[in-house]
Amino acid sequence: MSTMPTLAKQSRWTAVRAEVQRAVTAILVALLVTVIVVMLTSKTPFEALNTLLTAPASKPRTIGLWFDDVAKLTVTGLAFSLVFQARQFAMGVQGQVYVGALAATYVALSPLGPTFAAIPLGILAAMLAGAVWGFLPGIAKARLGANEIVSSLMLNYIAIELCNFLVRVQLREKPGVLTSLEFPDTAVFPPMIPGTRIDLGLVLALGATLLVWFALYRTAWGLKLRLVGHNARFAEYAGIKSTLIMVSAMTAAGALGGMLGAMFVQGQTYGKLTVMFEGGLAFEGILVAIVARSRPLAVPVVAIFYGYLRQGAQLMNIRTDVPAEVIGVVTAIIILLVSSSFSIPGKAWLLGLFRRPAPQTDAAVDGAAK
Amino acid sequence: MIELLATVISSAFFVTVIRTTTPLLLATLGGLIADLSGALNVALEGQMLVGCLTAVIVSVYAPWYVAVLAGLGSGAVLGLVMAFFALRLKADIILVGFAINIMAAGGTVFALAMATGGDKGTSINLVSKAIPPVDLSFLGVIPGIGPVLVSLLSGHSVLSWVAAFLVFAIWYFLYRMPWGLWLRGVGEYPAAPAAAGIPVNAVRAWSLVVSGGLAGLGGAQLAMFNYVGFARDMTAGRGFIALGAVLLGARHPVGALLAALLFGAFEGLAVVMPGLFADAPAELIRMIPFIVTILALVLFSYRAQRARQMRTLSKS
Repeated sequence: MSTMPTLAKQSRWTAVRAEVQRAVTAILVALLVTVIVVMLTSKTPFEALNTLLTAPASKPRTIGLWFDDVAKLTVTGLAFSLVFQARQFAMGVQGQVYVGALAATYVALSPLGPTFAAIPLGILAAMLAGAVWGFLPGIAKARLGANEIVSSLMLNYIAIELCNFLVRVQLREKPGVLTSLEFPDTAVFPPMIPGTRIDLGLVLALGATLLVWFALYRTAWGLKLRLVGHNARFAEYAGIKSTLIMVSAMTAAGALGGMLGAMFVQGQTYGKLTVMFEGGLAFEGILVAIVARSRPLAVPVVAIFYGYLRQGAQLMNIRTDVPAEVIGVVTAIIILLVSSSFSIPGKAWLLGLFRRPAPQTDAAVDGAAK
Repeated sequence: MIELLATVISSAFFVTVIRTTTPLLLATLGGLIADLSGALNVALEGQMLVGCLTAVIVSVYAPWYVAVLAGLGSGAVLGLVMAFFALRLKADIILVGFAINIMAAGGTVFALAMATGGDKGTSINLVSKAIPPVDLSFLGVIPGIGPVLVSLLSGHSVLSWVAAFLVFAIWYFLYRMPWGLWLRGVGEYPAAPAAAGIPVNAVRAWSLVVSGGLAGLGGAQLAMFNYVGFARDMTAGRGFIALGAVLLGARHPVGALLAALLFGAFEGLAVVMPGLFADAPAELIRMIPFIVTILALVLFSYRAQRARQMRTLSKS
């Protein structure tokens, strides 16, 4: 009687373990590459590596910075997970962040700004703006078959220039300064832990995680979405309107992207709008989503690890001579390794190294064929 | 408005358009080859950017043509990396492409800082070389049209002529040579060439390498002619626009040329407009190529869809 569920549970655990192993291996390889690069390029390599690996957890302030990043990485990771599960490659989170931030800014600087409604309305406006930005490539693809990668990327650039333009001509504090007025206190997320940058954003991120998990795995919409992602044609035969699912997935992901925009400008970090505030974080959601295999509940876990690395790189940039951009290389290597079946050659080699000359040739061939 | 028209019709504007089109055209041709082989190359942007940086750094120490070849080579290497991960290790090619874009965006800034000892984001302290313009002033002796010819044809980058030639060469390769047929067959329906004994993955790998090389060549043109020197993210979405231009050009080399010219013309417009309208917001002008890409993509997709519908209608 009980064998079936047990078996299912067992195979599930094996799968989880395999995924975790793969992710950990990828991160270790990426770290190894970082170590080599830092060793080769830095004048003070040990100090740099020490900063990279220990600095984020060293002080309450840096822990705050780390978890602020975790919240943001979680949301962008969720947005990418949603579209990836539907097998759409909409790359528009960056643009959604900018339009969301603009919408939140207009709410915060409006007469509503000094009232209690500023925070919820700001988030809502940002989500709405992001949803529109996500809807556009979706509808263009569903109705016309326009490639969503190209259109969403173009919308990113348009949103960035729009933000630059509005900040310069309308929202700026004074001529020549490329930031908006400071938001009133009521429009800024209150800090959860005083003295750090951990604010309402972390709560929003966790709430969004649960919501996306529920939507994907406990609703009919989520089931349809995953079916479309697995095999759009089959889903169509099963009577699912795959275009509708596609558009709604991109719109929902857009709303998440917009919310991330509100988290940026209304968060403790900024409390105002500046040009180019996002700093490439949106695209790092690709890494988070891929390492988490687009599973919503795994996204925050991955975000914690990656956020640590990211913050370490920022601190290394400030304190030593290694630029933070080295993290881009690490990110790319992790994506390449996790999204491919890389572990096989390394595994065979390690087996040969640590154990007796094992009969690993068969396994290796098997794996390579996979 | 009159001034704008006068500017657009002038030969100087034509030269500007050729200049802005060349990197786009090279990247578009690269995207076309990969796309026709069935491997969408979304890493054009990153390959261009790495091509820019490689060309700039090599040109400090070597003659310009070596630098151009280095830019080409760096793009080709990235194409090979893509092929390795996407074809050998079976990763999703779009994810691989974006990994390369992310690596290029961070890696170029990192490598530049290492090469210059700490410069963040621009190669202002590097004395890099430029690609020499092709001087055709001898055409001026032709009576009547001579001066016009000189003003239109003289002074372009060597790579502009190379790109124009490549449009023809790639057309010839794709439609007049057996290997081109292989490539298109692999993209169209891989099972058939596989059954005929054509190495599908090898064809795709080669087209990714060539694709990356062309994008790198476009990067060299950008960093050694359009601008001289490197700046972070200097490709500014050109690789992605090229991706749109491939689709807009109906996946044909001549179409790619026309699409690249269209986007190049709007980029040229964005170059000359600040001089004409001093108060026109630069941000909105910079938006033009991106908006045009979206509009063109939507329009093209609409027409393609209509064509598909007509075909199915006539069949049934």
